[in-house]
Amino acid sequence: MFRRYLAKRLLVAAPSLLLASLVVFTLPRLIPGDVVALMLEEKAYARDLAELRAKLGLDRPLHVQYFEWLGRVVRGDLGESLWTKRPVVEELARRLPLTLTLGLLASLFAVAIAVPVGVLSAVRQDTLRDYAARSAAVLGLSVPAFWLATLVVVLPAIWWGWRPVADFVELEQDPAGYVRQLLLPAAILGVAAGAAVMRLVRGMLLEVLRQDYVRTAWAKGLRERVVVLKHSLKNALIPVVTVLGIQVAQILGGTVIIETVFGLPGMSRFLFDAILQRDYPVIQAVNLVVVSLIVLINLAIDALYAVLDPRIRF
Amino acid sequence: MSLSRREFLALGGATLAGSVLVPSTVRSQAPKRGGTLSLRLWDPPHFDHMLTISYKTNILLSFTHSRLLRHKAGPHVQPGTFPLEGDLAESWTQSNETTYVFKLRKGVRWHPKPPVNGRELTADDVVYTMDRFLTIKGNANAYMLKSVDKVEALDRYTVRFTLKEPFAWFLDMLSSPVAVGIVARECVEKFGDLKKPEAVVGTGPWMLESYRPNTGMTLVRNPTYFLPGLPYIDRIEVTVDEDNASRMAAFLAGKYDLGWEFPGTINRTDWVQVKDPLKQKRPGLRTAEFPANVMSHISMRTDGKPFSDVRVRQAISLAIDRQELIDAVFEGVGVFNPPVPAALKEWSLPIDQLGEGAKYYKYDPAEAKRLLAAAGYPNGFPGTVCFTTYGSTVLVDSMQLVLKHLKEVGIGAKLDQKEYGAYISTCFYGKFDSMTYGPQTPFLDPDNFLFAQYYPGELKNQSHINDPVVADLLIRQRRTFDLAKRRELIHELQRYLAKQQYYVQVPSGVYVAVWDGALKNYGPNLGYDYGGRLVAAWLER
Repeated sequence: MFRRYLAKRLLVAAPSLLLASLVVFTLPRLIPGDVVALMLEEKAYARDLAELRAKLGLDRPLHVQYFEWLGRVVRGDLGESLWTKRPVVEELARRLPLTLTLGLLASLFAVAIAVPVGVLSAVRQDTLRDYAARSAAVLGLSVPAFWLATLVVVLPAIWWGWRPVADFVELEQDPAGYVRQLLLPAAILGVAAGAAVMRLVRGMLLEVLRQDYVRTAWAKGLRERVVVLKHSLKNALIPVVTVLGIQVAQILGGTVIIETVFGLPGMSRFLFDAILQRDYPVIQAVNLVVVSLIVLINLAIDALYAVLDPRIRF
Repeated sequence: MSLSRREFLALGGATLAGSVLVPSTVRSQAPKRGGTLSLRLWDPPHFDHMLTISYKTNILLSFTHSRLLRHKAGPHVQPGTFPLEGDLAESWTQSNETTYVFKLRKGVRWHPKPPVNGRELTADDVVYTMDRFLTIKGNANAYMLKSVDKVEALDRYTVRFTLKEPFAWFLDMLSSPVAVGIVARECVEKFGDLKKPEAVVGTGPWMLESYRPNTGMTLVRNPTYFLPGLPYIDRIEVTVDEDNASRMAAFLAGKYDLGWEFPGTINRTDWVQVKDPLKQKRPGLRTAEFPANVMSHISMRTDGKPFSDVRVRQAISLAIDRQELIDAVFEGVGVFNPPVPAALKEWSLPIDQLGEGAKYYKYDPAEAKRLLAAAGYPNGFPGTVCFTTYGSTVLVDSMQLVLKHLKEVGIGAKLDQKEYGAYISTCFYGKFDSMTYGPQTPFLDPDNFLFAQYYPGELKNQSHINDPVVADLLIRQRRTFDLAKRRELIHELQRYLAKQQYYVQVPSGVYVAVWDGALKNYGPNLGYDYGGRLVAAWLER
């Protein structure tokens, strides 16, 4: 049953991806002005306009270009970076794991902070702890990640002459160092998502805690931990998981700034640089990957509903 | 704090005496081999300096490539001056106004890397490079040597350049770090072009050992460098750091040996914030201040109304409160620029020596309004100002002030903000309707500021100037080899241009060059030649 549901969802995802690919492909071509002329004058990517047009395949009708590009994408060929002159797939293979690890760590951080604090805040409603947690959450939501990152990087340097950002270490060189260097950026990246999720956990849990079946659980004399964690939290988490999916997309967006501040050569910084360099194939490829990732994450979230609530049938 | 140019130069001299000249005592110390220098530089778009005008590429290649001539460097060279010396050329002669013969050093070896594998550099390499420089499509700098007619190898170590016409700046062009680093034919043949890091094979003091996209580069000492014993520094670790907070923190923590901004400086706004912590954290740090050659100006369509009327252009210049610009965007420390930036000390004429035109550099909105009324615009006129931010808050702030100043005399200029690429391909090359505001390439010679911007038909003649007086002076200075006479022509030109106000120049900031106290025999200067300034420096850690 679950497999059928997944297959159905994948089928629904396919048109979304196709539509996204069309947008990703078409948008750069709708920019006013001649992109090719701009690229040629600025970066001398090719010897003349005709060569660059041919190189980008822009000398053919738009629909032909699109289907050709799509055909290559399906075969796993995302083109060649004009900047590094390497296949985009190769570049992404090198950079995507870093961004995914950063995003994953940030999400874990958000969940690790949000769920316990949210639960505590709900269970101890209107106490000092609750107020403190809610205030912290509002602060977390209000403080932009780039500002927090800047403070975290600059203040220790001014106070103690110490810089919390080390030179980038590759995974193969030092796996522990690789993860270690991502902890601080991930924590900063996860703050806003954590705050949003915490507020939701608290709100949802408060609602569930007022339900009859919970009152029954209390009446049966169950321990608080069992009532809250076993009977209430699981039900409170369904909307939380949905929001978490949205937050993951925001976390991926936030990596652009965080990777720049912390000097991490991930996919987001690759996209940022590609936009500055007018590296046209990379812009298309990275956007396509990001869209695909978000579609997949949402698919995974849908699948998670069944685990959290067995009443949900596919 | 605001300084007149005279005061600034006096202060500059004092500053230099206080900090830059100190290493002359150091020079008597024995140089020390070894050590690693740490720099913040930029990730180049690619490594082919003939296919990009990017400073990021040119700066990197200043470590790895040689030119025929170069600018002298070191603590004894005053920033803003560029005395020439041989690089690959051991000597050179000029037999007539259009013929130059260069004798190359013998035994110069290419980096011991494939595909060149350390073979000897010969005259053919110079001929090949010049040919590629002048003929390759996409070389935006080719105009710098467009006076060259032919380049011939007379023998293995002798090259003759024949020019189409006299060009007094020819040697300056050859020594420019934005132009002709000598390249090996084998690299172009193997890689198709020189864009890949593997193609970075030169005869310069350091070799590119590794390139980590978006992260950094490592340069190692070239063991076969043609100047015996040089360079002293074994290794240069380059970090690509695109965030200012991160760069500032890294510098405070002692990571970088030079200021993190171009050219080894710290932006004054940052400097004001960090100089006190730096006194405690890095007490040995050395500094020198000199004017920046990055100069912004307002260009106007002088080929049509209203800017064809000189009174309108003069009014615009009088409307600009240059002192307010210095106070607001350069923390109060800046210099007024005549048509040749004040930074080019040997060529720029002080404002008070511009003669009749000097008055147009004063802030006088009442006189500006009077001139506009006399020109038939008593209520001013509408217009647009084409602009791009270059990602610079300094530029955005100054743009806002310029708009305010124009509005105060009745010129209702609307901001026409463009994306960088669109700006470069249109307004930067004179394709606009009304006005444009922005910085110009920071060249090291006056000809690039003058000829390119004022000669009829030139690509960067943004104001569409067609003035026979200017054209005549521009040609004459190019044909005048006597330095004193050429300087007088350039001064005459500046006096004339000050009256005409074809471009309205705004002030430049004053760089704060900063370097670690352990770096000896280093002298900061303008320009991309980081490698040249570091080749004879050493680390005393």
